[in-house]
Amino acid sequence: MSGRTRLTGRLPDTVTAWLARGVIVFLYVPIVVVVVLSFNDSDVTYRWAGFSTRWYGVLAQDTDLLSALRVSAEVGVVSATLATAGGLLAAMGMGRLGPRGRALFSGSLFLPLVIPEIVLGVALLSVFGTLKASLGLTTLVLGHLVVTLPYAALIVLGAHRALDPALEEAATDLGCGGWQRFRLVTVPLLKQALLASWLLCFTISFGNIVMSTFTSGVGTTTLPLRVYSLLKTGLTPEINALGTLLVLFTFVIILGAGLRQMRRVLVGDGTD
Amino acid sequence: MTVTAAPPAPVPVPPAARTGRARHRAVTFALLAPAGLTVLALVLVPLVLVVRNSFALPDAYGGIEGGFTFANYTELFDPVYLKVFGYSLGMAALNTAVCLLLGYLVSYYLAGRSPQRQGLLLLLIIVPFWTDFLVRTFAWINLLSPGGPVNGLTDALGITHGPAQWIPSQGASFVGLVYAFLPTAIFPIYATLRGVDPSLGEAARDLGCGWWRVHTRVLLPLVRPGLLAAALLTFIPTLGVFVIPVLLGGGKNQLVGNLIVTLYTEFRNQPMGAAASVVLLVLMIASVAVLGTAARRLRRRTS
Amino acid sequence: MSRTTVSRTLLATSVLTVTALLATACGGSGSTTAASSGGGKNLHVYAWAGEIPDSVVKGFEKETGIKVTVDTFDSNETMTAKLSTGASGYDLVEPSQYTVQQLIGQQLIQPLDHSKIEGLDNLAAKFRDPSYDKGNKYSVPWIWGTTGFAYNDTCIKSATSWKTLFDSAHKGKLYMLDNMLAAYIAGLQVTGHRATSTDKDQIAEATAALVKQKKILAGYNSTNYPQLLSSGQACAAEAWSGTAMAKVVQSNKNVHYVIPSEGGSIWTDGLAIPKGAKNVTSAYAFITYLLRPEVAAKATDDGSSASANQAARAHIKDKDALKNPAIYASDAAIAKADFLLDPGTAMQYFQQGWTKVKAS
Repeated sequence: MSGRTRLTGRLPDTVTAWLARGVIVFLYVPIVVVVVLSFNDSDVTYRWAGFSTRWYGVLAQDTDLLSALRVSAEVGVVSATLATAGGLLAAMGMGRLGPRGRALFSGSLFLPLVIPEIVLGVALLSVFGTLKASLGLTTLVLGHLVVTLPYAALIVLGAHRALDPALEEAATDLGCGGWQRFRLVTVPLLKQALLASWLLCFTISFGNIVMSTFTSGVGTTTLPLRVYSLLKTGLTPEINALGTLLVLFTFVIILGAGLRQMRRVLVGDGTD
Repeated sequence: MTVTAAPPAPVPVPPAARTGRARHRAVTFALLAPAGLTVLALVLVPLVLVVRNSFALPDAYGGIEGGFTFANYTELFDPVYLKVFGYSLGMAALNTAVCLLLGYLVSYYLAGRSPQRQGLLLLLIIVPFWTDFLVRTFAWINLLSPGGPVNGLTDALGITHGPAQWIPSQGASFVGLVYAFLPTAIFPIYATLRGVDPSLGEAARDLGCGWWRVHTRVLLPLVRPGLLAAALLTFIPTLGVFVIPVLLGGGKNQLVGNLIVTLYTEFRNQPMGAAASVVLLVLMIASVAVLGTAARRLRRRTS
Repeated sequence: MSRTTVSRTLLATSVLTVTALLATACGGSGSTTAASSGGGKNLHVYAWAGEIPDSVVKGFEKETGIKVTVDTFDSNETMTAKLSTGASGYDLVEPSQYTVQQLIGQQLIQPLDHSKIEGLDNLAAKFRDPSYDKGNKYSVPWIWGTTGFAYNDTCIKSATSWKTLFDSAHKGKLYMLDNMLAAYIAGLQVTGHRATSTDKDQIAEATAALVKQKKILAGYNSTNYPQLLSSGQACAAEAWSGTAMAKVVQSNKNVHYVIPSEGGSIWTDGLAIPKGAKNVTSAYAFITYLLRPEVAAKATDDGSSASANQAARAHIKDKDALKNPAIYASDAAIAKADFLLDPGTAMQYFQQGWTKVKAS
């Protein structure tokens, strides 16, 4: 009996595992194209004209594209950090509210999710206009904060709710003050969720077009805005070279970290 | 910026209980302030502006002239616009269903790996999204073009014969949508699934539950909050998407997002754009409410 | 224990990634930040993508020491939205002709002080006193071009009329610009009307033609259509002349740009100074610089666009460009071309029609 269920349990699991791997491969299909086309010797992305690395040279000289990259990275880091911090604080604060207050507050936190970005963008632009705030890095970050905060709240809130409240209570009983409890119990327990939130927020900010269109100002053209304007004049493999470098860079770091982990496991000071 | 919360105010000497409560309230307020103020200033205030504008008359240049009218709404009930709303809702629902299914599969797979692997895989899933969205979309265009790699593969397999016209099409547009929203669906599902004790599934299995029952009876109810979050994060933004239908779908079938962009920019009719946004907003809140009650009812039944 | 180690490593990883990313990015663009924070004079330009070549900007910076920041837009409406805040921070914008009319109406741009501009008489006669801006009071034309269509002769032998884009023989291989006003140029002219029409019935007729056409279209596209034409995915597509189209016509002998026999249309993008601009003196200096024939010639040599500057023609090094119809249309070709202005109250007919087309 139990042997039979084991078998029926294992086969679908194998199938789901392969499907899941298939999905991850699906995510990488266009990335492979980007990498291959970055070595294209042609002036246009869609026709292969032999192997060349010249676009990497072009990229190194392209101050416009690199400054757009810098703007995107800066805005991504700042807004992801602010959104995750705001989400964490809100999650902790909401645990102290009554059920009605909690529902109201979470409702308003998630509100930006149900408003089309273009509407928020136009509306924000007119608010900035009324305030005579000059458009630039600050307005751009604020715009991205609006977009990313609900995602951060969603992830951190979910994880915080799943926390065993007994843990925090135990910490209090053991004489931990608010700050100590926060530093020694809450944050370590939520680390994974905070990381997930930060990464997601950074990614969302990094790829945002609509909000950036309305909140960017003098000299704060983000990478997606720059690429969008290049669509008209024709994309060159230079864009693919940039994409390749970004992905390669992340991989090197992941592999570096991964290798260290593996060694730790082999040496045996890890528990699993 | 908004993270400058006031420290809890020192209270003189009143009874300890009251000090505690005041302190408690101050800390709660300080914790909620950054996110709360952000939402108030950057979402609620602009939103009030949008609602107000949806009842305004446009001036000759598409700006807001003021005044009060329902015309912007009555115009939206034209079958032409209703069709756009209907198509968008259908497309969003389909995209949500596919993303939830795939997201659940991937999360289940992830949660079964060792902690080290999980972290790496999580990053692996997000790395593709560090390449610019438009660059990735263009990669899809290259992939799906007649004579492109996918076409070559299907030719070799005998599925197609010669150049296939896959792009632009609704299918290509749909692939683009799934591709764009999959990670946002994976994240919340994975986050809740991770919190589920893996021994629960094994226990159910040992008690004789088949694979299907382990999932539908044990795991799915437990990850429902994650699934709900994923559904929200996919369904709603899909309605606002406008670049994908243009680049991959040939701009022939509009989503509400395209409609609103057109109203705001090309038509220079801000009041009507605002009205369309308000209608969309009401639709969204209604679907959230429906999802919410459905979830609550389900929970009551299972518990 | 091991779980926290993992997350710590991951956190460190992501922080490292971003720091390194920032470091590389900053290394490449140090000049921008250094100069914009430096003491010198600044100029903030907001222009169509690709229409003010880098060489022009660099030349101006070198000569005057004024630091120029160029941001680009891809639709007149985006630019208008930014200007309407009144605090966009831009000193010089580049609206198309009908947008100049709207910006004047909304009082978002200021009248030009002609005493601070030199070289206005270098402009071609037709841009000296345009109907949309009498006496160049608010704007100085910089680039001009046409709206027509292009075809790939590997699937269409030759074409001269808008009818090509309405011919079901090419079903699934035709594209139209994803732009209301551009679509109606074809729709109105193919039904025998002027593109400048504001007549309700004529517009309705055009709408009917466009609705019928939608069934045979592969799609609406105003971004990468030149590439689609070049790769053969598109047999014919409605097109704007200028940078992107010109490059494809130059590099692919099979692609031809045509101004249709029904007339087509002409457009022009000009320079204007927003109300509340901070660096007005620099803006005037830049306009004067752009009016120099040898500078304006670079719009063609480096930007593959047609200059509104008549005197520039003698300075253009790429003589083929003068014969490339996707850059400079011949006088004969544009003899019947319409010049699109703000449709005013007729706008609603276009909107209602276009909504029908898009939703059909």
